[in-house]
Amino acid sequence: MSQPVIMKSNKYGLNLILDPSLPFSELLGCIADKFSESEKFFKNARMAVSFDGRELSREEEYQILDTISQKTSIHVVCIIDNDEIREQYTKQRVERKLEEEAGNTGKFYKGTLRSGQVLECETSIIIIGDVNPGAKIISTGNIVILGALKGTAYAGASGNENCFVVALDMNPVQIKIGGIIGRSADKGILASIRERRKTAAEPRAATVSDGHILIEPITKNTFNNI
Amino acid sequence: MSEVIVITSGKGGVGKTTTTANVGTGLAQLNKKVVLIDTDIGLRNLDVVMGLENRIVYNLVDVIEGSCRMKQALIKDKKYPNLSLLPSAQTRDKSSVTPEQMKKLTDELREEFDYILLDCPAGIEQGFQNAIAGADRAVVVTTPEVSAIRDADRIIGLLEANEIKQTQLIVNRLRMDMVKRGDMMTVEDVCEILAINLIGVVPDDEQIVISTNQGEPLVGSDALAGKAFANICRRIVGEEVPFLDLQKKASVFAKLAGLFK
Repeated sequence: MSQPVIMKSNKYGLNLILDPSLPFSELLGCIADKFSESEKFFKNARMAVSFDGRELSREEEYQILDTISQKTSIHVVCIIDNDEIREQYTKQRVERKLEEEAGNTGKFYKGTLRSGQVLECETSIIIIGDVNPGAKIISTGNIVILGALKGTAYAGASGNENCFVVALDMNPVQIKIGGIIGRSADKGILASIRERRKTAAEPRAATVSDGHILIEPITKNTFNNI
Repeated sequence: MSEVIVITSGKGGVGKTTTTANVGTGLAQLNKKVVLIDTDIGLRNLDVVMGLENRIVYNLVDVIEGSCRMKQALIKDKKYPNLSLLPSAQTRDKSSVTPEQMKKLTDELREEFDYILLDCPAGIEQGFQNAIAGADRAVVVTTPEVSAIRDADRIIGLLEANEIKQTQLIVNRLRMDMVKRGDMMTVEDVCEILAINLIGVVPDDEQIVISTNQGEPLVGSDALAGKAFANICRRIVGEEVPFLDLQKKASVFAKLAGLFK
């Protein structure tokens, strides 16, 4: 093996591929070096860690975790086993936790997003202002716009199709929720302005229904399924 | 207190240079000391619109590189001695100047002039960055077309990001007949999208083409566009001026013009 320690990232955190032939104390030194190098990159990341390539005892696993926390400020949430059933289970738990966090915590952004501006957010987001055509907002959770959505919104950016987009005036160029994309009807700007003037703007919600983006006025039942 | 105003649009051909020439001349008519700077290095044309091309000896790049003194490069207007032009260089490109140098240049001009108007090139690259570097406020020019409005929106975002606090809008080349037929966006439609303060509406007027070709800005003349530009100048200096009723006046003028023909 050319490198005794290889770091690979996945959705949940880091996978460490370890050299099976090296004495453990030496390997621990290599891990320490590797993490010191990348300390700045990880900062205060929260992640799960899994090990590959070598059988580790409980004791050894703890020693590795100790080394990681000494060398970096990474917060290791859990160790993911190589046992497949348990792995599936743990992954699900982590995924659900991440989704829950994205959906339940939020940030505020005050101001209008103009063409060319992109706002990315690891939580849900509430915009106080408009999202103009050519602007884009991406959230791993939900998006609420207290204003007009005239640009592009992407909710549930980590793949969660249970997220929603709400706007007081819903006129998006494109909406994406999880992996589902919906786009506006093909009509000219004058036609859409005229249409909008005819009907008073009412708050609408976009959700995923039967694999399509569904936009409808907000009612009591809108958020029951979410 | 002197003010540096950048006139910008993002898209080309919407009337930045025409606006700069007319607003500059209009401010001079209000007895302000005004200097116009053409920042469109390599595509010089403000001097042509002002009818001052034949007087150019030195230019903006010469001043910045120290090849001449500021006084030598400034060209006095034909009609208004309190109006000057600093022409752009035609044989160089945008990278000949940096934003820091432009800021220094505008700061130097503040000592002598009330208003320093910067005619910004189209686009959002270095030429734009140079033009906005020293500006206190911005006037965004757009036409009632989607492409121009989209670019104006981008520009407004960039101006905000560069901490230019006061940004005002001119809607140029409005055609009332088309608006009436429902074939053109109204001023309200434009303002709804861009959501910044409107400082003027200029009707599409063939007199503008004539005046540009003659090298004489038409601000202050009886043409509707000339009146619109005069009003914009009064609003820039802080007066409250009601907006022209483009529809009504147009018909009155048409009738008058018909009478004297």
